Amino acid sequence: MGIPKRKNMINVYGDKETYRGESVLKRRQELLDMITKSDSFLPDSILHDDLDKGMLDYIKETFKVVSDGVQIPVIEKILTIQRWGEFSANWEFSDGDGNVKLPFIAIIRKPDVQFGSNPAIQRTIPDRYQFHYATVPTWDGNQVGADIYKIPQPIPCDISYDITIVCNKFRDLNKINKIVLQHFSSRQSYTQVKGHYIPIVLDTIEDNTPMETIDGRRFYMQNYKCTMLGFLIDSDEFEVKPAINRAFIVNESLGGATFKRSYIGKSIDITLSTIISNGTTTTYSVGESITVLFNVSINGILQQKDLHYTYEPIFGGGSSINFNGTPLQGDVIVVSYYKGNNNKMYDQFGNELTVARETFTYNGTNLVFNVLQKISSIISITTNGLVEYSDEGYQLTGKDQITLTSAPVNGSTIELVYLY
Amino acid sequence: MNNKLPITRLGKFFSQDDFDINIQMGQEYLHGDLNMKLVLYRVDRQKTDNDDVYAEAGMDEIKFFPPVEFNALVKIEEPKNSTYTKGLMRYNEPGNMTLSVYITHLNDLGVDIRYGDYIGYADSEERLRYYTVTNDGRVTSDNKHKMFGYKPHYRNIICAPTQEGEFRGV
Repeated sequence: MGIPKRKNMINVYGDKETYRGESVLKRRQELLDMITKSDSFLPDSILHDDLDKGMLDYIKETFKVVSDGVQIPVIEKILTIQRWGEFSANWEFSDGDGNVKLPFIAIIRKPDVQFGSNPAIQRTIPDRYQFHYATVPTWDGNQVGADIYKIPQPIPCDISYDITIVCNKFRDLNKINKIVLQHFSSRQSYTQVKGHYIPIVLDTIEDNTPMETIDGRRFYMQNYKCTMLGFLIDSDEFEVKPAINRAFIVNESLGGATFKRSYIGKSIDITLSTIISNGTTTTYSVGESITVLFNVSINGILQQKDLHYTYEPIFGGGSSINFNGTPLQGDVIVVSYYKGNNNKMYDQFGNELTVARETFTYNGTNLVFNVLQKISSIISITTNGLVEYSDEGYQLTGKDQITLTSAPVNGSTIELVYLY
Repeated sequence: MNNKLPITRLGKFFSQDDFDINIQMGQEYLHGDLNMKLVLYRVDRQKTDNDDVYAEAGMDEIKFFPPVEFNALVKIEEPKNSTYTKGLMRYNEPGNMTLSVYITHLNDLGVDIRYGDYIGYADSEERLRYYTVTNDGRVTSDNKHKMFGYKPHYRNIICAPTQEGEFRGV
């Protein structure tokens, strides 16, 4: 024997996307649709009674034998120990004595269901681990998200059945035997349970005909012993959990260090002191003397002096801000101020600086705003009380001009605090 | 042919009148003197909400026609001391009950007893035990059930005790 050739990359379906004239993807979708419930993306449960029903349906559809012009009836229930139930299943074809008339076909299931030998699903994954089954988009009216559907590995199970035919004609035995051999010529036949193809294997054919009875009643009885290679899917084990929803949370962090704002070759040191509210105190100190107080904001919202807070300079400089209300615990308080040796500000050339505060109303078209003085440094620009940042919210486009980079709502109030 | 089925045997020595008078005398003893009453619960197999696959019904799910009192000769076997497995998990319950009931009596009541029906037997003033019919005795084509070989006149009905989980009456 020569060395077997190694086959790489076996393409089962060839280069085409069709198999036997059918689109592979279409067929896959068909199979998926078959096992998916109509009202959700998850498959239906398959439990023992579903498998038994699948077997009953299979026998009823497959074992169609006509004897003396009448189809041999199949008792369409799995017979159990409740005696009254047996009669309810076969009264249609019982005689006056209450006995089932011959011929008939009955299905007897062995009560013990064994762990399965279905080759597709064996003991491969321990501990009922949940597998990803689908990601389903969700929309709650505000947020786009997704639910993650997970299901555990189906549990294989083998169920044994005796399909028994009781009749009084050899020809009927031949007919049913022909049907059985035809259907199991490839060892296994299939039934469909909630869209899943479930294999059935023919184990043995037994004859239990009481041939030796010379004085008693004679009839033929043959058992076709089959095993269904089923599996269990229990929807109670399914897991549907929301995936992580993406939310945009914007944190404005101004920092607490001194930084330098430059404009037209002049510069001035402005201090931003960040304090976290403890939820109880109304007075907060920046820890040093404030020469000129520019702004106080809470969580990025500008506070109005005397309305929201008061500041009393002591000998030209105080250090504490007194809020009229109590900031909530965790609120970020930012105090913007100039720290100097006296109550005057000078640039690096010794020129005294003055604070100016101007207010504009956005008219819906013009994003350019001209101020009355030549700007030395910008302390703050706010739109409806919300702080705008340099280059992001606005740009200096002239000595006495700023331009907003994006349009606010028509009628918005733009407040500009600057030094000149 | 006067009868649909030609029963002519013994006609000269044992007629229908003789048959009827024997039944009457027997009923006088059984119904009058012994007066052993039982309750028949005939399962309404159409209205009972049973399982599509197994034809099983749960506790209190078996629907039955209005219970009917009837008279019968009762024979109950001794209780069996048994275990479920290997001498463990003992249980002790009554033996099977065999009823002998006149066919005429059932016809007069307009009822039939079928395989799987339930029968209540008053153990005491407080307790009614339930049995299920395991042999409805419908086949009476033997000498034992025929009066002098004329025609059947009673049925032997064999019942097994049932558990409350299956049936517990009204």
